[in-house]
Amino acid sequence: MIKLKINGRDVSIDAEPDTPLLWAIRDEVGLTGTKFGCGIGMCGACTVHVGGRATRSCITPLSAVDGTEITTIEGLDASHSHPVQVAWRDLQVPQCGYCQPGQIMQAAALLSDIPNPTDDDIDSVMTGNLCRCMTYPRIRQAVRQAAAGKQEV
Amino acid sequence: MKKIMKFIKKWLTVVFVVLVIGVVGFAIYAYEPSIELMPAGSQPNFEPEVIERGRLMAAAGNCASCHTAAGGPPYAGNYAMPTDFGTIFSTNITPDREQGIGGWSPAAFLRAMRTGVDREGNHLYPAFPYNHYAKMTEADILSIYAYIMTQVEPAQVAQKPNQLPFPFNQRYLQAGWKLVSVDLKPYQTDPQQSAVWNRGAYLVEGVTHCGACHTPRNVIGAEQNDKKFAGAAVDGWSAPALTADNESLLPWSAADYSTYLKTGATRLHGVAAGPMAPVVHAGLQKLPDEELQAMGVYLADLSGNGLTEAATNDIIGASLEQNKPRQSYRWDTGERLYATACAACHYNVEQIAEGRPDLGINSAVHLHQPDNLIQVILDGLDNESGITGVVMPGFRDALNDQEVALIVGYLRATRTDKKPWPELTKKVSEIRDLYP
Amino acid sequence: MFKQKFSQQPIDTAKITRRGFLIGMTATGAVFGFPRAAYAAMNPATLSGMPNGPDGATFEPTLWYWIDESGQVNVNIIRAEMGQHVGTAIARILADELEVDWQDVQITHVDSDDKWGLMVTGGSWSVWQSWPIYRQAGAAGRTALIEAAANKWGVDPAACQARNGVITSGEQSISYGELVAAGLSRSYTEDELKALPLKPHSELRLVGKDVTALDIDNKTNGQAIYGLDAKVDGMVYGVPLLPPTRMGSKVDSIDDSEAKGNKGYLQTLQLDDPSGTVPGWVVVLGTSLMAAKKASKKVQVKWLEGETAQVSEADIQAHARQLINDPDAGAILATANPDTSAVFAQAAETLEAEYTTSTVLHFQLEPVNATAFKNDDGVWEIHTGNQWQSLILPTLAKALDAEPNQIIMRTYMLGGGFGRRLNGDYAVPAALASKAIGGKPVKLVLFREDDAMFDSPRSPSVQKLRMAFDAEKTVMGMEHHAAAGWPTQVMVPSFMPKGTNGEPYDPFAIDGADHWYTMGAHQVRAISNDLANRTFRPGWLRSVGPGWTHFAVESFVDEAAHKIGADPLAFRLDHLRAEGYNAGSAPNAVGGASRQAQVLRRLAELSGYGNTPLGKDTAIGIATTFGQSRTMPTWVAGAVQLHVDRKTGVVDVQKIWLVFDCGTVIDPDSARAQCEGAALWGLSMALYEGTEIENSNVRDRNLNTYTPVRMIDTPPLEIEFIESSEAPVGLGEPGTTVVAPAIANAIHNAVGVRMRHLPISPAAILSALS
Repeated sequence: MIKLKINGRDVSIDAEPDTPLLWAIRDEVGLTGTKFGCGIGMCGACTVHVGGRATRSCITPLSAVDGTEITTIEGLDASHSHPVQVAWRDLQVPQCGYCQPGQIMQAAALLSDIPNPTDDDIDSVMTGNLCRCMTYPRIRQAVRQAAAGKQEV
Repeated sequence: MKKIMKFIKKWLTVVFVVLVIGVVGFAIYAYEPSIELMPAGSQPNFEPEVIERGRLMAAAGNCASCHTAAGGPPYAGNYAMPTDFGTIFSTNITPDREQGIGGWSPAAFLRAMRTGVDREGNHLYPAFPYNHYAKMTEADILSIYAYIMTQVEPAQVAQKPNQLPFPFNQRYLQAGWKLVSVDLKPYQTDPQQSAVWNRGAYLVEGVTHCGACHTPRNVIGAEQNDKKFAGAAVDGWSAPALTADNESLLPWSAADYSTYLKTGATRLHGVAAGPMAPVVHAGLQKLPDEELQAMGVYLADLSGNGLTEAATNDIIGASLEQNKPRQSYRWDTGERLYATACAACHYNVEQIAEGRPDLGINSAVHLHQPDNLIQVILDGLDNESGITGVVMPGFRDALNDQEVALIVGYLRATRTDKKPWPELTKKVSEIRDLYP
Repeated sequence: MFKQKFSQQPIDTAKITRRGFLIGMTATGAVFGFPRAAYAAMNPATLSGMPNGPDGATFEPTLWYWIDESGQVNVNIIRAEMGQHVGTAIARILADELEVDWQDVQITHVDSDDKWGLMVTGGSWSVWQSWPIYRQAGAAGRTALIEAAANKWGVDPAACQARNGVITSGEQSISYGELVAAGLSRSYTEDELKALPLKPHSELRLVGKDVTALDIDNKTNGQAIYGLDAKVDGMVYGVPLLPPTRMGSKVDSIDDSEAKGNKGYLQTLQLDDPSGTVPGWVVVLGTSLMAAKKASKKVQVKWLEGETAQVSEADIQAHARQLINDPDAGAILATANPDTSAVFAQAAETLEAEYTTSTVLHFQLEPVNATAFKNDDGVWEIHTGNQWQSLILPTLAKALDAEPNQIIMRTYMLGGGFGRRLNGDYAVPAALASKAIGGKPVKLVLFREDDAMFDSPRSPSVQKLRMAFDAEKTVMGMEHHAAAGWPTQVMVPSFMPKGTNGEPYDPFAIDGADHWYTMGAHQVRAISNDLANRTFRPGWLRSVGPGWTHFAVESFVDEAAHKIGADPLAFRLDHLRAEGYNAGSAPNAVGGASRQAQVLRRLAELSGYGNTPLGKDTAIGIATTFGQSRTMPTWVAGAVQLHVDRKTGVVDVQKIWLVFDCGTVIDPDSARAQCEGAALWGLSMALYEGTEIENSNVRDRNLNTYTPVRMIDTPPLEIEFIESSEAPVGLGEPGTTVVAPAIANAIHNAVGVRMRHLPISPAAILSALS
């Protein structure tokens, strides 16, 4: 039995310890916002926060996160109005939207670590997140906008 | 002819007598009497402060890690230790009278910790690092006794038989081993050094037995005292040197050591992983800050000088610059894999975050062996490794041997000035097979 | 923000979690997402995905929408939502004509049903096809409402005005909702609809303005529901064991004895498929996805391999060349004057070049999957994202041995279409697995490697182009011979038109070769590569044929210009003449070649082509294309500025300019987004991604070796639309077609080598330079 917190709530999951966290979140707990894209940690669609850090859940076994605090896209902000989410809507970033929970979680982590990122920083941190619709120009712009927005607060 | 025969006979007699004296002398030397079982219920009362001291000392010594089998009751033994000589199992040191040490007197416990001899007079294998515990004060040793007798659950678990071939299964021969290998004197304060330094030295050389992993061993498995803390291989990992030969890019200060031992990481060196993880998480983390600081002072003294803040910042800045992927990243496979699998987490700007190493500064990339780096890439870090609350996923099922090797090679080549590690794909394959 | 009404279902914890349970859960289930009910079609804007039902009575002038008593308008959308915000665009077209407030509009992506007619989303057709239909539908409602109000007030309908959901006449006004509540039923025949007056372009209030697409919000909070998220009570999970060849392999033996000890393993199914869609498939079932996946690794299957087991990309391309060299192979398109034999016989000079492209994966980020079961009414429910319900339903009927009206495809958001989900073959094994266990729900998931192996990839292609010049270096004629796998032949042969020689051809494997240049005699020959067709299912992949035919045409046009010493821009403009065959036609190609010339001229201005001094080994290359076909062309011109590193062969793309004339732009922001994505797809296929067939299957199956464009690869894009009130044409694909040839032309301008294979690799450039 693995015990952890998801989006601020205590959760117990009775699944094999080597179950990837991604599938535990999606199928055992029922939060399907976090997505499966490649299964080898190279597309970022599965990105959640563990202890506030962007982590690829498709290759993180459940046993590794016993006792940790996880945030998924559903819990990033209580009213879904994290500055990144606001910027994403304002610039209409998503197309098919499948990669976007991972992009948003990665961008949120980026901004909490680098409040004033340069374009190089954005490339560096976000290049690991694949968008097959190739909304990259808007993702970049939205990260800049969210950073600027956060500055004003 | 008769004269020669008499001569030979005389010398043979002398040799024979010397041998007999030697063997008998050795047997006398090796002989240890059995100490009587304490009657049930005759445990002395222990002061709460002593028990608490024992809890901390047991944490510092990480007794539970070696004396607990995977999934087994704490301190009940049967932790398997594969050695060059065969696999041995740790003993049950719970207060159970039948299978554990419930019937041991304080004197018996003291003898075991100081000289490596159990209650019945059998010599213990040096897998039990009594050469270090010998340096502890009597009070500290007996505080552990108090802790075990009062706080640990008795468990009726029989010890599994050791799998050692002859002659290694002859325990009395361990006495001979002790003769040539071990210094069993208690810790001597060095009047030239501060009290804090001595406190640190007392702990490091004693209960925390760092040398048991960080000092290389000779062919008969004894720590090489002339190479103290020079680093050694442990279970497929490298325990790095704790001397001036330490290969970290930046030197370790006293504060670095104590932070590492308390939190499981330092920003400028790396994280406690593999066999070191439980040392911190199950053990040293519990010690009061002053004890950890003292250890830091001693260890820093061993490993030599620091750099100026300016020099340190220059090195950090240069490494952070190197961490940005280049436009041409995708044409070098190692660089491409790093940019798409690793960079999303291993980024830092100005300040290196706790538990999120910059891979140019991280020690694992600078060590003589790639083992540690490979291990961490394959299996990541769970919540009981590195710092608490943050994890790293493992790429064992995501990348093949060649891909891991390319990432490792890329990091070594572009982030360090060190010699390339040879035959990396083969090395990854070997390490992968250690823990399938 | 339009008002959100979402149906709150009571939280059934047993449904939300199985073995994971929440301690101390409170009632705000919205944070945790609702399992989507296994019943209805989809509203992408509601938190639950469920459409909002009407308040009271409704008025339904056509099947495309209803208005209820509160004035809410629900527009039915048959198109799949895959990021092009198609529902928003189409609903906007209707709402504009209907004269309602955008706030009052909701969309429902409908499940499959005969009444909707053809359900397909692809070809960049959606807006183009919907434009007349939804305008008419909106006009129908507006007309009926005006009539009803006029009737009520006893005035002339001409004295009434409809605006923002209200009819007014002088001092009097009444809302649509009130009129509906009073009872309104008026329906229109096809002819009546066609005769309705439509608003002049100047009166359009919603079309051409930016609104927030209705699917955006839920795509920023994890609430958007994709096929992979489908949840049905009691479902078991299935993963496939794929046969060694896509077609023709047979299972010889299955041994699951080693899997039997695995926790959660249920059974292994050898699929019996009367439709022939998934020959040789084996599906392993488990109580969880991981259980099924782990067990599948222990199941030993032996197959008798299909005959294509050893086929390689080189074999396929060699076969293509062979076919091109056979003058009797293929179909001749009805271009203006396809007989080129004379001009080539008399030519003073000729130019000939061969262009090739390699296999490309769809790699849509949501791997294909489907959940299937037989519901209590005896109807088979297929839950998945799909782009061509009409195509796969008959196949499902055959596979299940059921009547087509006993099968319903439930609609979901698509985590990427790009043409992969036009081929709904992945639904068949899910349905068959469910049938094999008595109709119980099976969720079939293809992990990424299986998805790649089961892709319908873009076929590799070989194209041979020839041009004939007279002694004055005037172009007398041109030939374009193209051989590739034909998706339409394999999937929907009835869709293939016939060439002038009576042979059928796949338009999606030749469109683009029938360009708008006036080149004298012009022959286009389309050849089906039967070896490709036998080895894999060739797929329709974003921009389909035009994605590679234009690479050839626009590279070749540059080569021709250079050969005769002409400036590539001037050469193109000289040959774009809106006369005769290339004059264009109403309503979809008004202006013909002149509109292509216009975008090209504007592009040259925008990019500074030919006028800007650039650094060493740096140059701009141009290209102009039309997409997706001569019958519905969006005119595109593109320029790419890049630098070539002579030592490494690495191309650094510095900027891309694009000019589009797509007629009326429905939603400027959405149009721009589609063009950005399409252009980057073009970039990716030109320089960064591609694979090869090896032993019958694609060699690269995951991101460790398959490498599409990522953020750091993305150059600045400058995109412009020509103002137009012509009929709206498609935008999902055309932007892709212009990038590869512009890059090839730029590389030539920069360092003098001509690259004729996609993707262009540094190694190939180095080789060409040496």
